[in-house]
Amino acid sequence: MLPDAEAIRKAAHEAASQVAGKPIKEGQKIVSSGLIDSLSVLKLISLLEKKLRVSIPPETLQPEDFDDVDLIVETVQRVGKSME
Amino acid sequence: MPFNSSLYLVFLVGAVAIFWLLPPVARRMFVLVASLAFYATWGMVFVWMPLLVATLVFFCGKRIQTDAVRARSWARLGIGCLLALLAIFKYRGFFFANLPFAAGVIPRYNASLAASIAFPMGISFYTFEAIGYLIDVRQGRVKMPAFLDLCLFFLFWPNILSGPIVRARELVPQLSLRKPFESRFLFEGFDRVIWGLVQKTVVANVLGIWVDRGFSPTAAGIPPTLDAWFLTIAFGLQIYFDFAGYTNIAIGTARLLGITLPENFRQPYHAATPPDFWARWHMTLSRWIRDYLFFPINAKWHGAPLPLYLSLLGVMTLVGLWHGAGWNFILWGTLHGAYLVLYRIYESWKNARPNWDESRVIAVLWRIGTLLAVLVAWVVFRSADLNRALDILSAMFCRFSSGSRFAAACYAYAALLVLFCAAEPFLMRKLDEIEEHAGDEGLSAFRVLGRPIAYLFGLLLFLLFDTNNAQFIYSQF
Repeated sequence: MLPDAEAIRKAAHEAASQVAGKPIKEGQKIVSSGLIDSLSVLKLISLLEKKLRVSIPPETLQPEDFDDVDLIVETVQRVGKSME
Repeated sequence: MPFNSSLYLVFLVGAVAIFWLLPPVARRMFVLVASLAFYATWGMVFVWMPLLVATLVFFCGKRIQTDAVRARSWARLGIGCLLALLAIFKYRGFFFANLPFAAGVIPRYNASLAASIAFPMGISFYTFEAIGYLIDVRQGRVKMPAFLDLCLFFLFWPNILSGPIVRARELVPQLSLRKPFESRFLFEGFDRVIWGLVQKTVVANVLGIWVDRGFSPTAAGIPPTLDAWFLTIAFGLQIYFDFAGYTNIAIGTARLLGITLPENFRQPYHAATPPDFWARWHMTLSRWIRDYLFFPINAKWHGAPLPLYLSLLGVMTLVGLWHGAGWNFILWGTLHGAYLVLYRIYESWKNARPNWDESRVIAVLWRIGTLLAVLVAWVVFRSADLNRALDILSAMFCRFSSGSRFAAACYAYAALLVLFCAAEPFLMRKLDEIEEHAGDEGLSAFRVLGRPIAYLFGLLLFLLFDTNNAQFIYSQF
């Protein structure tokens, strides 16, 4: 089963801040603003997979699916599969 | 009807006036008819092409949505047909000229027949939009709209010729065209249209005269070093002001109808690194390549170094080929791929050393190196053949010679434009501050006096300089 939305939000915030190299604010755009590039999005996905113990198949995703914390939560809920 | 013509200005003012006078319910049909009429001015024979693309996307998209078992096959079929159309209309001459065996496949192939088939304007742009659309439908990102919406999406006249390459999810929701009129649409729209006309006629066309002379295959031998640098910088400025000018007119035209199109440029010559250049130059093409090619490939390989480097080279070579069916474009794309690989190698070297602190000197060196690398690649892009490119590059970097073949005013004009580009971020900030200071409402001095004077001055410059009505460079792509 996928973690609940609050747990995903917390993990998304931590992972995005870690990849961006600085704390990100609620609603802050991280991909379309150029703060992180598409390769960093792959790192972000791998961090989320570790933190949430879920599998996120990135081949059908686009970098801007991870543009802010809300979108990350929505994307994980849409495509994430529990590894437990 | 090119954007940089008096006729287009008349068409634009008339179309915008009718659009806002019409009841909202009639606006969509009006924009479709106006778009068809605009596209037909480039040749009646190809009006069916964007309609064919819309029909194909509609047919395949519907099946992708309703036939889950064969959704992938429908997506592949649709994309295959779109690529086949692009290949037939844009690359057939190149393939037959460079793949001798291909001529044998079709024994009656006739080069003059191939050359006689004209090039549908904007096909590279709306084909990419269509491919993106099908992938987005397949990935559940967008729902198939009504056929009329799809026709409007592909035919929308402000961006049909040379972009910006728009995503369905950013334009289709705006195509209900039911927004009430706001005066800021006119200010924002005309600001961009008139600035775009000035960029094209006063800067790009003027530089183009000298660039054409200097890069001509018939130009005599190796140019003097000063001229080689001048021509290279002049072309870098010409292509920027030409394409940014076109984009400003496209974005401004859409804004006059209350529609927001995505930006395509963000002061590209201020790029700090090669990837940064592609985040600032032709941004809508860069993000298309990133979303539909680069990211899926590297996601599959989890960003491993070798697939990353190979994909950068491959994808950028395709970007070159997208620009035109010629070896100069392919080489230009591959060069940019090599720059990106070089930067990624440096980046992984840097990341392997957590204590490495990138000094300011290194950052400045990357900035200068990026600018130089971009300029070198422009020489290849612009030269009709490799020999001319090598002549100019050797004059720039190793076979130094004195002398000059242009009037002093030419060099001074280019130097002035370089200064403008250097100051562009500062000037843009200042303009934003003035706009912010004027506020959303009220009649400030800027609005009552500044804008009309600036518009009149811009139009006057356009009329004075618009003598040769030169095409936009990107309209060939």
